[in-house]
Amino acid sequence: MPICNGMPRRRSLVRRAADAVLGERLRGQLDRLRWRDAGHGYDRLGMHPDWVRASVAAVRPLYERYFRVTSHGIANVPVEGPVIIACNHSGMLPLDGAMLYADLVRHLDPPRVPRVVADTFVPMLPFVFTAFSRVGVVAGNRATVRRLLDDGEMLVVFPEGTPGIGKPFQERYQLQKWRVGHAELALRHRAPVVPTAVIGAEEQWPQLARIEGFHLFGAPYLPVPASPVPLPVHYHVWYGEPIRLHELCAPEAADDPVVAEEAAALVKNAVQSLIDRGLEEREGIFR
Amino acid sequence: MTGVMVTGATTPVGRALVAGLLEDPAVARVLAVAVEPRWTGPASEKLTYLQADLTRSRRIRRLLFGPARDLDVNVIVHGALHRSAADRGEKVWRLNVESTRELLHLAERHPTVRRFVYRSYAEVYRLRAELGSLVGEGHPLELSGGMPQRVRDRVEADLTVCTRMGMTEHLSIAVLRCAEVLAPESGSQLHDYLRSRVCFRPLGFDPMLQVLSVEDVVDALRRAVHAEAQGVFNVPGHDVLPLSRAIARSGRAELAVPGPLLGPLYGARSWLRGTEFRYGLNKWRFHFSGVLDGSRAERVLGYRPTHPLDWDALAAELRASEA
Repeated sequence: MPICNGMPRRRSLVRRAADAVLGERLRGQLDRLRWRDAGHGYDRLGMHPDWVRASVAAVRPLYERYFRVTSHGIANVPVEGPVIIACNHSGMLPLDGAMLYADLVRHLDPPRVPRVVADTFVPMLPFVFTAFSRVGVVAGNRATVRRLLDDGEMLVVFPEGTPGIGKPFQERYQLQKWRVGHAELALRHRAPVVPTAVIGAEEQWPQLARIEGFHLFGAPYLPVPASPVPLPVHYHVWYGEPIRLHELCAPEAADDPVVAEEAAALVKNAVQSLIDRGLEEREGIFR
Repeated sequence: MTGVMVTGATTPVGRALVAGLLEDPAVARVLAVAVEPRWTGPASEKLTYLQADLTRSRRIRRLLFGPARDLDVNVIVHGALHRSAADRGEKVWRLNVESTRELLHLAERHPTVRRFVYRSYAEVYRLRAELGSLVGEGHPLELSGGMPQRVRDRVEADLTVCTRMGMTEHLSIAVLRCAEVLAPESGSQLHDYLRSRVCFRPLGFDPMLQVLSVEDVVDALRRAVHAEAQGVFNVPGHDVLPLSRAIARSGRAELAVPGPLLGPLYGARSWLRGTEFRYGLNKWRFHFSGVLDGSRAERVLGYRPTHPLDWDALAAELRASEA
């Protein structure tokens, strides 16, 4: 499958609409996007560069005006080869994922499409997953993510999973049970892990309660928010030094549950350190 | 020099495979077998055509230990399966599954046959939201009880072949799980679906489909004939595109309707017009992507899809079929 540099020649309606919103710098940045064309302008998992452009345009007001995202340490993110971005997760709706996605696309030079790994129930959501897959989101399935790393792609994982996004307000910035799949993948595919912390999202939308019996489209529960819209908190995204787990042990060690847990704990500690640093350095929730 | 026996030789893929093998200098003889009385493909000195009913085990025995042995057949390419989704019952199962079992059983103790290539289908894979979009050879198979006979038979035949791998020293087995060949008379559900001027699809879902051209499936089968490697190989197609795009490229109009309506709508279409498309067979892949990962076939067989489908020709053919 050829790796394409730049956008498809045909300017689709989606792209023209996106270009009307994007500034000149962002248009130039997105013009250099690299992707794998499976023959019809889409990659084989459904990602289309015009939709990536549209998503960056769609979240631009949120990124620049509402959450005023500040990026720290983007130079720590490798611009080529397989890499795993491991990040804390929170905020009731995955707005932290959207801001992190936009931050990576906007700041990496050259830009690359972050393949955000979603929970396995997400593909059941009508409209949502179709839109997600067009911008590069993939369902959290082992075979798929392995193949993406083999292809040298950048994965964005939230090892806290759904419990992270639904954590109670009083547990903000406390990492929930940390899954180990990303560490296994990093060891097996010799991919560096970039510990990442999103500061701000954990206060954006306090949750009053959750309705546990609600499982429409496989959703684990229905959250009841304290405010009708998320609060305009100031987001800070912190990227830490890449952790090269594969330099610590052989790829076969990924099969050893103890090694995988220890490797995941290293990542978790690095993310927690970044969170602590980010909280210490920020001036306030809204500033 | 190889002698090859091809079953299902009068299907579009079978015919193209026989034609390809006849042009192959490494193939000395081709024994084409099908149920039709006459061969309508290219003629050659290398070709022997035999009419045979593979649902009868005695006939298979006579075929293998008669003409196949005399022609020094080394490789069997088995691709004889019922193509119609409406076919069901004992006789259909006998061709789809029992003939495969019998061919294998006899090939294992045949004096000349050394390789068995089975053309399987991507339909054997189970597609669900939680199983991911990229389908490797280790992906779960569709063993749900409620699936139509077409799928059950294909899974049973595929597993029947898989269970014999490595059981006999002198017979190597390759199973090629091929993406859907989007061509008329090839049993393609998608082709029949696209014959409607307006194609209904589930509201809110637009999964990625993968289709294979006849040229590519023939290329994969030919590579499997000459290879020695044993195992299961996914055979992906060159065209990977969303369902909505496939509809548009075929010159059809699309209409997204709530998923629960599609079963009754297409049930009525099939009942009134005798069409082949069954929503029950396609429900999951019309919701969730299932794209074959062909890296194993590329690594071991050297197969890469290189022939994109001619969508303009397909659109013209679909328009002509309306007239």
